[in-house]
Amino acid sequence: MSAAGGGPSEADISPEVLLALGVIGGLLGIYLSDINVLGGVIAPVLGSLGAVCAIIWGADAIRRVASYGLGTGVPSIGYMSLALGIIGALVGVALAATLNLTIIGPVLGLVAGLILGAVVGIVAKVIVKMKIAVLIRCTAEISGAAALAVLGFSSAIAGGYGLDLILAKVIAPGFIALFFIFVTMAIQHPFNACLGPNENQVRTIKLAVSTAFSVMTITGILAIFNPSLVYAGVPAWLVILVIGAIGWVVSLKSFICASNEAAAEVSWNAEIPKVEE
Amino acid sequence: MVITAILTLIIAVAIGGILIGGGVHFIPVGGAPAAMATATGVGTGTAMLAAGGGLTGLITAASMTGQPVYIVCIAGAVGGMLMIALTMLIANIIYVYGCGIVPSSAKVEKDIITGLDQEKYITPGTEGHGVPTGCFVSGVIGGLFGGVGGGLVYWAAYNALAEAITTPILGVESNVVIAGLAAILGVAVFFINAVIASYNIGGTTEGVHDPKFKRLPRGVLASGVASIVLGIFIYLIVGGAL
Repeated sequence: MSAAGGGPSEADISPEVLLALGVIGGLLGIYLSDINVLGGVIAPVLGSLGAVCAIIWGADAIRRVASYGLGTGVPSIGYMSLALGIIGALVGVALAATLNLTIIGPVLGLVAGLILGAVVGIVAKVIVKMKIAVLIRCTAEISGAAALAVLGFSSAIAGGYGLDLILAKVIAPGFIALFFIFVTMAIQHPFNACLGPNENQVRTIKLAVSTAFSVMTITGILAIFNPSLVYAGVPAWLVILVIGAIGWVVSLKSFICASNEAAAEVSWNAEIPKVEE
Repeated sequence: MVITAILTLIIAVAIGGILIGGGVHFIPVGGAPAAMATATGVGTGTAMLAAGGGLTGLITAASMTGQPVYIVCIAGAVGGMLMIALTMLIANIIYVYGCGIVPSSAKVEKDIITGLDQEKYITPGTEGHGVPTGCFVSGVIGGLFGGVGGGLVYWAAYNALAEAITTPILGVESNVVIAGLAAILGVAVFFINAVIASYNIGGTTEGVHDPKFKRLPRGVLASGVASIVLGIFIYLIVGGAL
């Protein structure tokens, strides 16, 4: 059980496993987003799948921190961490371009996101005096996940993670603003929707997988604007769209099944407290 | 970049962040209780109000791109104030004609602007409801500060980037890239400071007359420290975009 304001959350899957999934899956996806197999059609799909891994990690981090009750609602930390993550991701690719080492961009982006998240976490804890033990760690984790997720989807649209590609294909057309809101929703919505008594980590993560794949489906639509990636007449955007949609339907179905299973049995019912008048 | 340009960028981001963080303390954020009309303020969280007011302010500020800094800031302020005023007005219409309540505050005995008695209009068991005049004026002042802050961050980021990016990137005109990058950086700084301020007020406030307003110095300090770090990171982006 994990209600907002209810204290630490119980977990079937340890945070470290999801952290590893997010970091390794996210980085691997981004690094494979410019490989030239089958005319580059597979690469953007791998970039998007990396972002999906990062979103699952971020959604679990939100679950851990928001179960203490932030006082400001679950979405607020999502928006803030996405803002931090986007600045971190841009710092990463920009620094890599300055150093002429494009290959280190995603790692630097992750590190910059983690550092920014930790700084704001420390400010919130030391200056604002928030009393949440996991605040610094979780803000850093969500910001790092946000950096990877935004870079993953951006590299899927741009066909790579170099600064020039990101600036010309993602920032100039304004897709970065869409990713800001979409990825925020994908990361904060699962716990925001599932929180309360009988909240369960596996079910929340099933919803996170479904929101992540829904963003991937939309990324497929956005990738129409970069028609250069085609193999044997099949454009890359179509592959992202179809795989994203399949993932979305499968994960949403599994989430709805899990919700139905949980709802079919009421194992404990609270008494309504008696109020003396 | 010369050292004065770097300092201008970092200081402008810091001042902008402080104005945004400070401005949020003025805005009547009601949160979930206000959504049920059982507390004073607009019935949503800071992040949503910041998204509305802040983004409108950034659009109006960006429409003045290339003008002197004070014009950009005034344009941002007009956008922010208009949007927050409209949000509060529409909220009040819904509260008054939809819920059938009188806008009133439980935190003060008399409204700080009109001087009207508040207590007899408050439904028993609630902490006030709607957006009374004092909260409304306070919210508009918050929109002013937030808009000026957002405009300042946009102006600083745009000018720094305009020095760094001078040639088209992969066939895209440099000014399009600069405007897009400056806008997303402005939005990011806006959200970060709005949420830090929201943490400081514990989610909900009524504005200047709320006892939580005394926490303003702490919120300003927090926004200032965070924004200086953000300014340094934004400089890294600008330096890398050369």
